[in-house]
Amino acid sequence: MKYFQPYSVEEAIEIAHASESTFLAGGTDLVLHMRTGKAQPSGLIDLGKIPVLREIKEVDGFIEIGSMATFAELGNSELVAQNAYALWQACQSMGSPQIRNQATLGGNLGNCSPAADGLPPLLALGAEVHLISQEGEEFVPLSTLLSRTPLFGQDTLIRGFRIPINSWQSGFAKLGKRRALAIARLSVAVAVEINGTRVENVRVALGAVGRRAFLSESLGRELSGLDLNGAWLEKGILEVQQIVREALGARASAPYKRVAVSGVFREALASIITEGGTQA
Amino acid sequence: MIEIKLVVNDKPYTLEVEPSERLIDALRNRLGLLGTKEGCGEGECGACTVIMDGKTVNSCLVLAAQANGSVITSIEGVGNRRSPHPVQKAFVEVGAVQCGFCTPGMVLSAKNLLDKNSKPSNEEIGIAMSGNLCRCTGYDKILRAVKIAAEEGKE
Ligand SMILES: Cc1cc2nc3c(=O)[nH]c(=O)nc-3n(C[C@H](O)[C@H](O)[C@H](O)COP(=O)(O)OP(=O)(O)OC[C@H]3O[C@@H](n4cnc5c(N)ncnc54)[C@H](O)[C@@H]3O)c2cc1C
Ligand code: FES
Ligand code: FES
Repeated sequence: MKYFQPYSVEEAIEIAHASESTFLAGGTDLVLHMRTGKAQPSGLIDLGKIPVLREIKEVDGFIEIGSMATFAELGNSELVAQNAYALWQACQSMGSPQIRNQATLGGNLGNCSPAADGLPPLLALGAEVHLISQEGEEFVPLSTLLSRTPLFGQDTLIRGFRIPINSWQSGFAKLGKRRALAIARLSVAVAVEINGTRVENVRVALGAVGRRAFLSESLGRELSGLDLNGAWLEKGILEVQQIVREALGARASAPYKRVAVSGVFREALASIITEGGTQA
Repeated sequence: MIEIKLVVNDKPYTLEVEPSERLIDALRNRLGLLGTKEGCGEGECGACTVIMDGKTVNSCLVLAAQANGSVITSIEGVGNRRSPHPVQKAFVEVGAVQCGFCTPGMVLSAKNLLDKNSKPSNEEIGIAMSGNLCRCTGYDKILRAVKIAAEEGKE
């Protein structure tokens, strides 16, 4: 197996184009997959020596996050805490301190497990993914990207993410650890735009309900343009249960998750509205 | 084989490693640093914890090649029988060591916390130690030892 350690993005995508090699970020998924044989790369392109990929910064009304930013770095970022609270929350509860020090947001998308903690917050926050290859670069809404299979070609690098900075508020909650049975895992991220007492716009994303994290457009529609109160919260809970029912169908985990999701949904909103349905 | 340069416990090394070789293998097999333990080999237990560029990582999940250019502290770099680190002293005093398998990783997580934050709250200690599992002690003594080491450091 070959091992490359490029010092720039250009070099990295050139090697990927020429060599069929696989990008290596923190390695918390890939190193394990190599040991079990699930991944058998012919070469590795270690992204760890490209400083620009680690940056977390504000640019033209967006938070730009390099793909190699770790969960620990994101969880310590004031910029993220202020403007992307759901993502910040997900970073606190992900893995263990050692895993957070090593695991990157880009790797979370690259691995794309159904329960990847970074994805529901990014979906709810309206994040776009910055992809780059020798053919060119593009910004794709994460929700669009997640409907593609495969997500992108072997020679495409996740350069980073960008999240619009706006007055939306967001929150995240999850149930179950990575090693818990799939049936006991669930995560919810919510972002809302509140104007006075009205919820103008809503985005709700679910993780570990189906093959990949997803944004529920119908839920967003149903919950937008309403007054924020106890009734709104109750409506949200009924709707989110309906989404889980539809997404899981007859799967064994369906009855459990349909019940569990109401608590997780409530918890995701805890930083935004109180138990009684007033603004927190 | 690829050549990497790294500093381990203040000593510079140049090593030839396999691309798929993990940092724990390089430390144990090439440098003979057997204090770093392999428990689960899957990132769950923290027995293999080392400090890499000021951060704790599980050396069973890091490739040796990824550590190229890094500064590593393993348990051998923390203290010794004659002059133990305050964390090590506290672990012994409190009886936080039973079989000892988890201890090197525990000590490194605790040391790294205290290096960054000399007055951690109980909650901060709990979080910092949450990636290290112990089958023997039930954690109370371990958390108490870290608290004591923190208090001694303050004086
Ligand atoms: C003990 C343990 C606990 C964990 N707990 C959690 C948890 O609570 N929540 C959670 O979500 N995950 C968890 N994980 C899974 C894992 O840590 C995450 O998925 C992590 O974000 C992966 O990032 P990485 O940098 O380690 O990726 P890597 O392992 O380096 O890469 C993962 C995949 O993404 C591809 N890739 C990486 N970067 C790029 C890029 N820039 N462009 C294109 N492709 C790329 C790689 O080729 C590979 O296929 C856990 C893992 C372990 C071992
Ligand atoms: S041996 Fe590395 S975490 Fe268990
Ligand atoms: S003392 Fe035995 S595992 Fe902790």
